[in-house]
Amino acid sequence: MGIPSIPVVLSEFYEQETEKALNEGLPGLRTQWIQGPVWAKTRPELKRDVINGRNPISKQPVMQEIVEKFTKPLTNDEKRTGEIIRDRGPATFTDTEANLRKMFEEKRWTDFLPIVLPTAERVNEMLANTSRDPDEIVGKMSPTNTGNYFEYWTYTVRDVAVNAVMAGAKPEYFPLLLAVASTGKESMSVSDNSFVAALLINGSIRNELGINYTVGAMGPYAHANTTIGRAWTLISINLGNCGKVGTTYMGVVGNPMNLINIVLGENEEESPWEPFSVRKGYRKNENVVSLFEGWGVLSAANWRAASWGKEMNYPTIIKSIFDQQGGLFGATAILSPPIANFVKEAGYRTVEDFETFLVAPAASAGQAAKAKSPAPKPMAPNMSIIVAGGTNNNYYSIGGLRYLQSVQIDNWR
Amino acid sequence: MKWHKSAAVIAALCIGLFCGYSTVGNQAIAQNNTAEKITVLNPLGNPPPIKLKNMAPRLNTLEGKTIYLVDDGYIGGDNLLYEIQDWFKENHPKTTTLYKRKGGGGFEAEDPALWAEMKEKADGIIIALGH
Repeated sequence: MGIPSIPVVLSEFYEQETEKALNEGLPGLRTQWIQGPVWAKTRPELKRDVINGRNPISKQPVMQEIVEKFTKPLTNDEKRTGEIIRDRGPATFTDTEANLRKMFEEKRWTDFLPIVLPTAERVNEMLANTSRDPDEIVGKMSPTNTGNYFEYWTYTVRDVAVNAVMAGAKPEYFPLLLAVASTGKESMSVSDNSFVAALLINGSIRNELGINYTVGAMGPYAHANTTIGRAWTLISINLGNCGKVGTTYMGVVGNPMNLINIVLGENEEESPWEPFSVRKGYRKNENVVSLFEGWGVLSAANWRAASWGKEMNYPTIIKSIFDQQGGLFGATAILSPPIANFVKEAGYRTVEDFETFLVAPAASAGQAAKAKSPAPKPMAPNMSIIVAGGTNNNYYSIGGLRYLQSVQIDNWR
Repeated sequence: MKWHKSAAVIAALCIGLFCGYSTVGNQAIAQNNTAEKITVLNPLGNPPPIKLKNMAPRLNTLEGKTIYLVDDGYIGGDNLLYEIQDWFKENHPKTTTLYKRKGGGGFEAEDPALWAEMKEKADGIIIALGH
């Protein structure tokens, strides 16, 4: 535009925005750093803290700096043009195992747990499980898949294999990991929401790979669920430049589920409904992985602890929980087979029937208004019902997870 | 005689134990010094090249200039920009400031109409991002 511009940004974002300015080709961008937060402060508070305050980094008065940033001539560095070529370094590293482990951790190429070092032999074993060329570009990833805020890094089949090895994944998991990587969806979003990501696997590949979909489906109780989830994390860190606190990770309180994410199979065998993937347009038994992102899920017993009884109206209880979910980041219920069967026997022959019931305006809306309680939030438009877990009790989890997309796995064999 | 035999056995055991210990220790040291080197692959993806952009030339003065105060829509950004506007009125009365709420339906969304207006009328821009 050719007009001098000053972005006003909280100093907490100094590292992130400095890197962003560099990535955008403006390493000298004259950003004005201020004390945060701005949100929720009154105007007198903003006047005190920002207008009459100081830049927390330079310690100089904020408004004086803004004037200088408009009027101080550009330096030679700021006038620099051209292109900065960045390479990722050598293709291989040779050292003792101990030194390599230390280097990988110091460079933040790990999740801080011990890794399997990616020797050529191990990587080749992984590559043997796909017909794809090792140099084929699989996709591109950035620390957020919304918009173009962060730069996208590209990666090959071999790059995905390296990270799969590091995570301890078995070679037979590789096509599934390539399918996930092909979406370009990061498992750890930069968002200050501290999101978690999830993978749902449908099809015969669940049994082929040993993906757990019964007791403990969402937890780290099977090699496949655990290492596939961890591989997605390492792929995000190393191939998408994700998870660097201060620049590409800003989750305010963080989320422990980012370590291995939520990876589960759907319990198709004991579900009373069509598999999730079939409802998304895929054939039954087709191997499909579906991706989700959100705040995560909690046991419904946590949400509705007071509703325990001899006779449970699960559709109504589930609806009351859904009514509390905002529409911003979607909603997902992971129902154990007994709960799904209770819902079906209550008259919801298909998931779609149940969803229609869930999105209907809450019956208690009028009563809530009379009681001067906050009106129920609108139903989340992005809603997912998954059947997973064991049959040993009537438990289920609900929370904020929005469905993003599904991809076919066998294309990557 | 019996005593001499016992002493010899004990001495031999001690020598044996000492030698054994020494051998194990030396082996450990030797392993550390000659630890096998292995080759591993680089785990990183490929960052794109950065094309440096021209910075806009600066202003000689703010007097008589028009500064657009652009709110990207994050909660509280408006109040911050109103306070900046008040500061300019008080400290740079010959500078015109105009508050504008960026359209486009999102923090990152483009607002071509506003961009065009600023290209024509703005001498400088302050954009407030909230948080």
